[in-house]
Amino acid sequence: MNARTVDRTLIYGSAILLALWVIVPFYLIFLSAFSRPNDVFVYPKPLIPTSFSTETMEFFLQSTGVFASVLNSIAVAAITIVLSLALGAPAGYALARFTFRGRQGFQLIVLATKMFPVAILSIPLAVAFLRLGLYDNIVGVALVHTSMALPFVILVTAGVFAGVSNELEEAAMTLGCSRFTAFLRVALPLALPGLAAAAIFTFVISWNEVFAASILTLRQRTLPALVLFALQQSPLYFKFAGGFFMVMPAVVFIFFMRRYLLNLWGGR
Amino acid sequence: MRQSSGLRALGIAGALAILLTACSTTGAPTGGGAPTGPTATDPGKSFVFASTQFSPVTEQEAMRKKILANWNGASVEFITDQEPVIIDRITVESKAGGTGQIGIVGLENGQFGSLVAANYLNDVAKVTTRNADKKINSDMLTLGKFGGSTQLYVPWMQATYFLAANKKALQYLPTGADVNALTYDQLIAWAKNIYDKTGQKRFGWPVGTNGLIHRLLQGYWYPSFTGGLVTSYKSADAVAMWGKIKELWQYSNPQSTTYAFMQEPLQSEEVWVAIDHAARLINVLKAKPDDFIAAPAPAGPKGRYYMSVVIGLGIPKTTPNQSGAENLIDYLLKPETQITTLRENSFFPVTDVQMPADLDKGLKLEADAVAKQAGSKDAKVVPLPVGLGAKGGDFNTAILNTFQRIVVKGEDIQTVLNEQAAIINKVMTDANAKCWGPDGTSTGPCQVK
Repeated sequence: MNARTVDRTLIYGSAILLALWVIVPFYLIFLSAFSRPNDVFVYPKPLIPTSFSTETMEFFLQSTGVFASVLNSIAVAAITIVLSLALGAPAGYALARFTFRGRQGFQLIVLATKMFPVAILSIPLAVAFLRLGLYDNIVGVALVHTSMALPFVILVTAGVFAGVSNELEEAAMTLGCSRFTAFLRVALPLALPGLAAAAIFTFVISWNEVFAASILTLRQRTLPALVLFALQQSPLYFKFAGGFFMVMPAVVFIFFMRRYLLNLWGGR
Repeated sequence: MRQSSGLRALGIAGALAILLTACSTTGAPTGGGAPTGPTATDPGKSFVFASTQFSPVTEQEAMRKKILANWNGASVEFITDQEPVIIDRITVESKAGGTGQIGIVGLENGQFGSLVAANYLNDVAKVTTRNADKKINSDMLTLGKFGGSTQLYVPWMQATYFLAANKKALQYLPTGADVNALTYDQLIAWAKNIYDKTGQKRFGWPVGTNGLIHRLLQGYWYPSFTGGLVTSYKSADAVAMWGKIKELWQYSNPQSTTYAFMQEPLQSEEVWVAIDHAARLINVLKAKPDDFIAAPAPAGPKGRYYMSVVIGLGIPKTTPNQSGAENLIDYLLKPETQITTLRENSFFPVTDVQMPADLDKGLKLEADAVAKQAGSKDAKVVPLPVGLGAKGGDFNTAILNTFQRIVVKGEDIQTVLNEQAAIINKVMTDANAKCWGPDGTSTGPCQVK
């Protein structure tokens, strides 16, 4: 066996190990989510499906509010992504391109918004939202999620735009672009992978957020706000069904965003 | 004191009042005499029924689709969440003024504390009076007054904790022990015997996240051994009790630190014997009624103490539909609804109802165990902690930490008790909670002696 084969074996071996590290828990959750309720208690657990059943999953999906809350979660995440990119990307661009007075301070203030735990703000926030008519409304939840995601989006996009060469934009401007069209046609396409990463980040923050969502809504609840507490108190097989169901959309979303990320890492 | 935006709030309140009166003239005739049945008139605005109970997915669905099936009043949306979230929501609606969305709340006795203190609840005496014929348990009605004269909730249902055991464990009972009249010493001997004969640690404790170990200590171990809870927290009796708990821990499944609902390890047979909340044992009793027994909790030197959990229905002052919420309480107190609640979600009636003969086998086991426990000669009942309000969680944590430090980590009993007692004293002072239950009464905050 020559050195090259050893190298390749090592690389592929560790790649397989890493992949298993991620896939095995998913597989075990999947297995239990689609077993008959009582088979979940069988110990030791068989690694190949012995009884396939959608009974638990069906009950979970048909229980009141689950479907509507999935739609709410998706809508909240979508609004959050749009808002935080629309607000965060220009801020990131400004931080990367311009040296203005108070730039350092601004960067610090952006992070300072993470200093206040939502738990302290929850009641005054909910009272204010109730008076403004934003209570129990997905737009209200999306606004809070946007404020949570913004610091990340600003910092990530600032890094991304800093990596896009300024000379390219200047060259575009000498060829007849305005500052804005140069941004739109040159900087933005080059920054797309980074923006995709920021979008994934934002999606995950919004999708997983429970506290604000459960304080600010009553009937229009997002999926985690609706089921997280219920699942903690539910029998084991529902925990698996719910866990599987909550993981899947995030996996699907990241799967589609993946190719932008690979661009970022220089993949093809 | 918090009304800072006085004028504006007044303006909004005024506008709302006008809107409301405008609405109610076109809406259903409200107030008036007590409706005795469904009326043909408009039942009024829809409202939310918020509860800390029935949070498991199956129980929620049973509540919506079976227990509330025959309800034909205003449209009701049943939602469940954790105590702080529900309390926060009612607080928010109350602070915002006007009417909110939550029309009625279903909470444990102790969870009403902060709502009562903030004066967010309506008087519901009218409802208890018109349901007098149903003979609601009078002790529970008194609990619902919180030491005052106003009825702040109507008892809805009740639960307790008891012992469940796999029949395979019965052959290892110590000689002379009656499973229906165990003592804690016999329980320890039983667990030891199982370990000696099978090599397995088959006793289980709900010490995991969401487990109710603190309730077992508050309502069972502590009063049974010391005759009190707070006052006797670091007494000589308490030290002896922790010694016994450590002894039992040696024969307990070490996975206990991950158990929340004992029905799960009981069903997978990792555990053969456990004590837990009725609603957290029922699934295994229903699934395998022929393989399990249910029995009263053991007795200690001071008696067979057990905890009674009362769940009540309150109407927030911001309810969007007062008469609708009152009618819903009438409906939930009907004998047939109380029985459906027992059948579907295993909570016991608070009214005087005849138990049906065709009860599910698992429920029958449970009902018998509950009756035997309450009927034991040495039985003494303890309520959930009273008057702690928002500090209830801190009190539970202090007790849980005592358990973790002494039993799981093996620290010195007296040292830990002294340190945790200081924390408990502070919680009691902060909450200004007077003694309750086995601790008797006190003029100031209840303190460790």
